Amino acid sequence: MDPLYGVALRLTRNSADAEDLVAEAVAKAWAAIDALEDRARFRPWLFRILHNYFLSDYRKKSVRPTEEHLEEVFVDEGEGDVYSLLNDQPDEFLKWWANPEKALLNNLLGEKIMSAIDGLPAAFRTAILLVNVEGLTYDEAAEALGVPSGTVRSRMKRGRTMLQKALWEQARDAGLTVSDNMDGSEI
Amino acid sequence: MSDATDDAGTDDIGCLEALEAFYAYLDGELDNPESIANFEHHMSHCRSCFSRAEMERALTAHIQKSSKSRAPDALRSRLRDLIDKF
Repeated sequence: MDPLYGVALRLTRNSADAEDLVAEAVAKAWAAIDALEDRARFRPWLFRILHNYFLSDYRKKSVRPTEEHLEEVFVDEGEGDVYSLLNDQPDEFLKWWANPEKALLNNLLGEKIMSAIDGLPAAFRTAILLVNVEGLTYDEAAEALGVPSGTVRSRMKRGRTMLQKALWEQARDAGLTVSDNMDGSEI
Repeated sequence: MSDATDDAGTDDIGCLEALEAFYAYLDGELDNPESIANFEHHMSHCRSCFSRAEMERALTAHIQKSSKSRAPDALRSRLRDLIDKF
């Protein structure tokens, strides 16, 4: 239940909505459990129900919808490679990205990291959570999200690059980055 | 980025190719032994890619630590009631 709630919370960004989402998903899953032929696929199947419900009924019923929330679900993700994605980034970020200071993360609070994750479009946020937090394989995440495995691969690449940029911007705004320092000894 | 040449019989894939394999490797999704060997060889001599990998590992650890949420007791109770109805 905790993994379902964790993903729901990051999807909805609201504990009350997350509880509703989990309750609806569990009810649907419980009612449809006989349709699950391969019990080994239970986790991706359950996450898929949760995700589908978030995308459809939940969004219509939500008492706290936002334009951003609705638009981000349909983000244009393409299949661009990381190199192409980086072409659009500012030089300062690229300079840091080429030799990042790991210590930067230690200077950002957990809430800042969660804020950066919450700022990602839902498609990327969900892929990262399913793979990196819940430990699903790309194939399982693809099953959960109803997309090809290659799309999960693409979302992981783009999502994490976006996440790094968001963290870098937060650190820069907080005066924690020294863009000219390339030896990683100071932030 | 590195343009070092191989000296151990492993193909030097270069930073561009390493970039494309980067996240799949870190997520345990790079299953071709030759691709793994080439990637690891690149990492062994490319400081830039190695630093990024370290950063990504640290970031993933932070995400895992920060993202774990315990379902509220009210939700647990609600689900028990829900399941009892079936």
